[in-house]
Amino acid sequence: MTIATNDGQAGGALQRSGSSSGLADVVETVLDKGVVIDAQISVAVVGIQLLEINARVVVASVETYLRFAQAVDRLDITPRNQKGLPDLVQGATGAVTAGKAASGLGKTVGAIGGAVRDAVGELGTDRERERPRRRRRSEEQHDE
Amino acid sequence: MSEERGLFIYGIVPSDVEPTPDASGVGDPPGEVTVVRHGRVAALVSEVPLQGALGRPADLTAYQELLDGTATVAPVLPVRFGTVVTGPDAVVDLLDAHGDRFAAVLDELEGQVQYVVHGRYDESALVQRVLDDNPSAADLADQVRGQPEEATRGQRIRLGEIISQAVELRRESENRELLDTLGPLTVAGVARPPSNELDAVNVAFLVDADREDEFVDAVEDFAEQRRGLVLMRLLGPLAPYDFVNAHQLAG
Repeated sequence: MTIATNDGQAGGALQRSGSSSGLADVVETVLDKGVVIDAQISVAVVGIQLLEINARVVVASVETYLRFAQAVDRLDITPRNQKGLPDLVQGATGAVTAGKAASGLGKTVGAIGGAVRDAVGELGTDRERERPRRRRRSEEQHDE
Repeated sequence: MSEERGLFIYGIVPSDVEPTPDASGVGDPPGEVTVVRHGRVAALVSEVPLQGALGRPADLTAYQELLDGTATVAPVLPVRFGTVVTGPDAVVDLLDAHGDRFAAVLDELEGQVQYVVHGRYDESALVQRVLDDNPSAADLADQVRGQPEEATRGQRIRLGEIISQAVELRRESENRELLDTLGPLTVAGVARPPSNELDAVNVAFLVDADREDEFVDAVEDFAEQRRGLVLMRLLGPLAPYDFVNAHQLAG
């Protein structure tokens, strides 16, 4: 990993990821999105088994309340400014990905951002980014 | 054992798009991504066995990476994950029937990508903020602090509820502020449902490529103003997942 450019506090406050940085992000980004082509529109649509993927639905509950109350308890134990491990990790990564690496394309930034995982799970996002290229009409067209 | 196969459709693109040879799709082993063209539009597809199930993390990632990668070079209309048709003929039928509509949407999306701005509260900073702002919460905090959970359950639930409601109110206003701030710099913006109790903001934006730098700068400013309180992330560039619902074919 290339943690180099900035140290914690000096870094930007914004963490960048080219694509998503964990399964939770992927699920949230792609699930139930996109154009729907159902069987009524095209009889050629084939039903295929989809593994059950649960997006998290946030519903406040007594458990949530008790957890927040525990956070109040932790306020006493935890000296100010001291953060839990996930926060530290996220903070550090934020520093790395911050700043003007910005407007670039996702690839490098994404690889770095990939160090941060959401709690739900992780998966390798280090694969080369598959990127169809666009054939300009003016270019010679070659058949595949 | 005869293997029935179908074509998984990733998205609709202008017909001058072609996948790079290393593009790999869903399935195990990953299918080879190809293009079915018809007129001005085309579909990115790959073969999948019909017996297998799809939706492993790797499948979702492959789907997203292909679409996001495409979005950086050409407009792309994501097709809902899991859409499989019988074969190339079916894809052509689809493109034939809806090509004009697809082409119009792709023209609109030309030069645009999606970004997601996601922020999550630092829990202790947030709780501290709520206690500072709300005397009755601070009072309850004094009652439960250091006391066993069983003995203070009622107070804890009330306290947690106050905090939870405070988060919801703050989230609403943070989302609104983000939309107001970035609205002038973007084509469109839409708040997404929270993915965590501690979500502070979660908004998808459609951004013109030539305003990306400006947009990113503005998000950085927004993040800077919340340093220490909200952990801000910017995901993208992505395919316009959150901006195609209006173009659903249904109906």
